[in-house]
Amino acid sequence: MADPASVTDHASSPQDAEAADTGSRRPFLPRVIGSRCASLLAAGALALTGLIFAWQASLLDLGHIGLPGPGFFPLVLGGLLVLLSALIAIESRLASFKDEPLEFGHPQVLITFAALLAVPLLFELLGAYITLGLLSAVLLVLIARVSVLLGVVCSAVGMAACWYLFGELLGVRLPIGPFEGPF
Amino acid sequence: MTGFEQLVRGFSVALSWKGLLYCFIGCLWGTVVGVLPGLGPLAGMTLLLPLTFGLDPTIGIIMLTGIFYGAMYGGSTTSILVRIPGEAASVVTCIDGYEMARQGRAGPALMISAVGSFIGGTVSVLGLMFIAPPLAKVMIAIGPSVEVVLMLLALAVISIVSAGSRIKTVTMVVLGLLLGTIGLDNLTGAPRFTFGSPELSGGLSFAALAIGLFGLSEILLNLEKTETIKAIQPKLRDLIPRWNDVRDSAPAIGRGSVIGFIFGIIPGVSHVVSTFVSYAVEKKLSKNPEQFGKGAIAGVAGPETANNAVTGTAMIPLLALGIPSIPATALLLSALTIHGVQPGPLLLTDRPDVFWGLVASMYIGNIILLTLNLPLVGIFVNLLRIPYQWLVVAILVISIIGVYSVNSSVIDIWIMVVSGGIGYLLRKLGYEMAPLLLALVLGDRLEASFRLALTMSGGSYATFLDTASVVVLGSVLGLLLLVQGLAWVFGYRKSFTDEAERT
Repeated sequence: MADPASVTDHASSPQDAEAADTGSRRPFLPRVIGSRCASLLAAGALALTGLIFAWQASLLDLGHIGLPGPGFFPLVLGGLLVLLSALIAIESRLASFKDEPLEFGHPQVLITFAALLAVPLLFELLGAYITLGLLSAVLLVLIARVSVLLGVVCSAVGMAACWYLFGELLGVRLPIGPFEGPF
Repeated sequence: MTGFEQLVRGFSVALSWKGLLYCFIGCLWGTVVGVLPGLGPLAGMTLLLPLTFGLDPTIGIIMLTGIFYGAMYGGSTTSILVRIPGEAASVVTCIDGYEMARQGRAGPALMISAVGSFIGGTVSVLGLMFIAPPLAKVMIAIGPSVEVVLMLLALAVISIVSAGSRIKTVTMVVLGLLLGTIGLDNLTGAPRFTFGSPELSGGLSFAALAIGLFGLSEILLNLEKTETIKAIQPKLRDLIPRWNDVRDSAPAIGRGSVIGFIFGIIPGVSHVVSTFVSYAVEKKLSKNPEQFGKGAIAGVAGPETANNAVTGTAMIPLLALGIPSIPATALLLSALTIHGVQPGPLLLTDRPDVFWGLVASMYIGNIILLTLNLPLVGIFVNLLRIPYQWLVVAILVISIIGVYSVNSSVIDIWIMVVSGGIGYLLRKLGYEMAPLLLALVLGDRLEASFRLALTMSGGSYATFLDTASVVVLGSVLGLLLLVQGLAWVFGYRKSFTDEAERT
């Protein structure tokens, strides 16, 4: 069942009721959030984005109404984004749509996203092929659920194919990390 | 040189061995990305974008455009055989196409769908050929103020025709415009929101954002699902339709061609809208409307023809006005710019080889797709047997290499990953990504034209209401109102909502 602390608006959703009846425990992930609450959070994030853009734009030359400077357009757009976010927030509170539970944090999604976040960090340090080989191996083992050996072998073969296709045939220059010097 | 002579010259480019080879690669890859759920034309085009860097611009654009309309063909295969739309424009085909497949009539459904796609695609190329040149001539005569009006109109229409919440769509448009301001200011060269990073001076990479917002977010959404795919395998000899099928589908193909052609001008989701309208029209005009949803071949023929008829029309605003109307043409705009070709009214005079080469290649591409799709349908369907988690790994690796190779910048990988995460969250909450991308592409030009128009008029906003602007505004608005009115008359929104509920 969803964590009661994280769910306020939809405690009586059918899934929760069913889970409560059977006494079963829902896994820690994914977490369930009501669509209204999620909508409010998104509106807040968008408003914050608008505010940051508007603030940064205000530091630029705004020009004047007849001859706008570089800051004018983003300032107006930032303000508009804040206004629209407020409207979305109001809509999500007042609208009559059903507050449906939304699941966030599926383990497969989290693993994939975390692995992807590591890619730009390692891409130039380890080189493209080692980084992408590691990404492939991790995803094959954790997402496709293959054995570690098969995952490593498939990644190595895949990277060799990538090197040939992109590096040799297409002439795409990718960083090769620690091998940069010798080669 | 007359239009006919230029078309002949275009064919000489498209029929060269390079033109044919890259058109074939584009069509093949387009069909593959159309078949695979989670990879649409946009992601497919972005992935092969780096491949075009070493090519002549015309050949590069021929290949990318081949991916675009190839994906429209490929999308129907999975809709019919698996009830999974390979891309958004094939959602409607699932309804009757899959029912036909369940009844052992997958072959005729695929055959009629391919023939309809071919006819629709060819009709729309004819339209592109005849409409774009005179439209470009008109556009040359107008100034930046009319450009502003046109671009604002395009963005307004995207917001209006959107199927989701209008406020959310407008928000995405504004966010796209805002993200488009990142980089050096076009008129003064002042850096905006770059935080001292030289990589951001040129703005956010469109390819990275497109892959992130569309491709990566789709992959993350699909990873939440655990369904296994069961495809119906048709045999080649079962492809031949019966006389009844031909009789029922011929008028639907004719109407689908017209509907797709007309709706192609609507910015945003025209390819999707046209299929719903076509389906609604066929159901309304059918003598047996109760058969729809139970395997009516007209319900496959019409929408499939319509979504392919959009491809040529969608190129008109891009090539004649330099304004992309759907995300896929936005990527083409980006690709053309990378190659130093500026789409717009001057394209026909400055680079007629690109325009006419592309037009000619679209005829050839449609023939390639017709001959490619039917005999190889078994192979394409077998692609779906590969576990999705394996495909994800391959798609991600290719995406990362593709995104990096555009600017050789790790920042672009960051942009792809972060925008993918944001896109995933926003799409879960009902925000659409297409308006954001279109606004991002248009934003730069919109702002530049806006400020240029004001500078030229000495700061007078009345310049946006001069005669030319009003005429353009009035005629475009009138046309769009007519098209939108037709859509409502034929119950587009109702059928759209019905299908949303059904799925």
